[in-house]
Amino acid sequence: MAEAVVTVDRITKRFAGHTAVRDLSLSIPAGGIFGLLGPNGAGKSTTIRMILNILVPDSGSVRLFGDQVAARDLSARLGYLPEERGLYRKMRVLDQLAFLGEIRGLRRLDSVRRARTWLERLGLGDWTRKKVEDLSKGMQQKVQFIGSLLHDPELVVLDEPFSGLDPVNSQIMKDVVVEIAREGRTVLFSTHIMEQAERMCDRVAIIARGEKVLDGALSEVKHDFGTRHVALVFTRNQASAAKILRDPTLVARADDYGGSAEVELPSDGNPDRLLRALVEADVGLSRFEIVEPSLQSIFIAKVGAEAAVAPAREEVHA
Amino acid sequence: MRKFLAVVTREFRERVRTRAFVISTVLIPLFFTLMIAGQIILSTRGAGTWRIAVVDAAQGSFGARVEAALREVKVGSGAVAPQKYQVERISIAPGRIDAVKDSLIPLIGKREEVPGKLDGFLLVTEDGLASGEIPYFGGNVGSLSEMDNLQTSLRPVVLTERLVREGVEPDAVQQASGGVELVTSKITDGKLTGESGESSFFLVYVMTLMMYFALLFYGIQVMSSVLEEKTSRIVEVLASSVTPFQLMLGKVVGVASVGLFQLGIWAMAGLYLTANVAPILSILHMSSDAAKGVQLPTVTLPLLLVFLLFFVLGFFLFSSMYAAVGAMCNSQQDANQTQHPVTIGIVLGLMTMFPLMNDPNSSLARTLSLIPFTAPFATPIRYSVSPLPLLELVLSILSTIAGVLIMCWIASRIYRIGILAYGKRPGLAELWRWVRTA
Repeated sequence: MAEAVVTVDRITKRFAGHTAVRDLSLSIPAGGIFGLLGPNGAGKSTTIRMILNILVPDSGSVRLFGDQVAARDLSARLGYLPEERGLYRKMRVLDQLAFLGEIRGLRRLDSVRRARTWLERLGLGDWTRKKVEDLSKGMQQKVQFIGSLLHDPELVVLDEPFSGLDPVNSQIMKDVVVEIAREGRTVLFSTHIMEQAERMCDRVAIIARGEKVLDGALSEVKHDFGTRHVALVFTRNQASAAKILRDPTLVARADDYGGSAEVELPSDGNPDRLLRALVEADVGLSRFEIVEPSLQSIFIAKVGAEAAVAPAREEVHA
Repeated sequence: MRKFLAVVTREFRERVRTRAFVISTVLIPLFFTLMIAGQIILSTRGAGTWRIAVVDAAQGSFGARVEAALREVKVGSGAVAPQKYQVERISIAPGRIDAVKDSLIPLIGKREEVPGKLDGFLLVTEDGLASGEIPYFGGNVGSLSEMDNLQTSLRPVVLTERLVREGVEPDAVQQASGGVELVTSKITDGKLTGESGESSFFLVYVMTLMMYFALLFYGIQVMSSVLEEKTSRIVEVLASSVTPFQLMLGKVVGVASVGLFQLGIWAMAGLYLTANVAPILSILHMSSDAAKGVQLPTVTLPLLLVFLLFFVLGFFLFSSMYAAVGAMCNSQQDANQTQHPVTIGIVLGLMTMFPLMNDPNSSLARTLSLIPFTAPFATPIRYSVSPLPLLELVLSILSTIAGVLIMCWIASRIYRIGILAYGKRPGLAELWRWVRTA
């Protein structure tokens, strides 16, 4: 593996009353898209803040680009879109971006020039002289997204970048993220939306309750999780189908959507028996496919359904 | 350094561009100018001429003397100054005093409405001469300074009348009762400045008020700016790039430079105006004599430097505290409550002005110029009122600088944690923990 861009070594962060992150280690290789996955309140944002040196871990260390230097001094090489979106409401869009570029080490003129190019590209060319407060929420998010990319950072950290975006804007931002990764830069993004992570990430780490549950290349993760997964679609008799999915001799775990399902076979199970049972039950089978497990099912299996509902929101306390 | 400058210039640029800045830059000097112009107008035309009746029930020339003394009183100074009192003397028999009084009372009121009305009347009687109490009836007795003027005018008349009745020649009385007036001139650095005590009072007053308003106004701007970054959550992006200390300092320096920029504009305007007093007054159709009535104070360069130095020090002291307050709060309401201790500190500084001007070299004054919170007010005031020993000045500057450094340090510790803390507003114990944690 190439030199890791981010090396997180056994970091722990406690806030008044609870431990947000416990003994977490991560290694993010250069290039590609790394997904930091976990339910709300799992410690994703706290981890990201420690990586960026906004918070200091109680123990453990973070290294960026193989350097011991604090992230703040490397800010010219880092881009950051925080989970909590925010811009100066009274500032004009272009001034705002120029400033964000400047605090990342760009010269003002250069910063302005790049901001214009990006605004054009994301369809905000007519809004450069408008105040931020006049923009819609989606536009503000795009402006902030531009702010994190303006200085061509080697590592882009995006905390829940797609939350609250409509499908069109979501698609535009996804395209940009993919392109950045293709250019050889590294993207670290956090999300709790598994479908998205599955389509975009090269590597993932799943964390829950402040601890790492698993990490690795997406293909390895899927492979390790097993190949005994079957995707099903039925067109009738959903009740009898559901009964079969609850039979532990046929199905170890099922993610049932009513008309479709993803199931994991028990270790001594056999796809033939499941197929026969389903045909006999006359469920109008239109899909029966042995598949790789979806990230969603891995996530649910590893984190547990109850953890998907966070007990409390992540908040920073000293 | 470039990041720090980016924070400073952003703060400067965004503030100077606002409508509020333009408006306050124009309105505040306008307010001061109007105040000064108002004083000039009041002192020249002011309360205007009063119509006073002298009800003379006394014997001999007492009533006539009162009338003559009141006719002498002028509004303002100078050869052409108008008479203060329009006097009408009514001689009556002592027995008719009550009847005359009753008939005069309805006449007191607004002269403008009915001709023949009076502002007030004096009862001059033998009793009054003996006891020294002269009754005055009028609608304007509430004006203490006017009553004081009237009393001052009457005092020598009573004295003269008494002496004349004892057989002293009126001329001799006149000569003997010439008053004494203290004529003050201020000496700065061994040089006569030509200022009177009054104009140097005025200077201290204006400078201290300016300091007070500037500290309060710009301090609160620092606070809301911190609060804005916190509530808009942009602070997280900033914090990943700039250290909290750089951010706080950049903000304070940015707002301070806005303040100095504004003061600079005013200073230039002020210099221009004082250099062109006469033409400006003639535009306003006022005689240039009016301007002579107001001695414009001279600001010496050392005084200006001391003032600026302490303004900057005081600014850093109080606005770092305001920044900490902004960082520990989550909403404007929250901040409005929490800022009170800081604001009270500034108000206390302002309140040192009066005892200090009375006695700029008391031990209280010395102590106040060594306390960092009061020194930004106390030292410039003392410096302008009376010459300050160099040692004391240096000590005051050093202790204030020390106070500023300590305060900035504490504030930056609070700021550093506060800007990312979105919980309940911390209590004192919690704050102390913030300051101590590494």
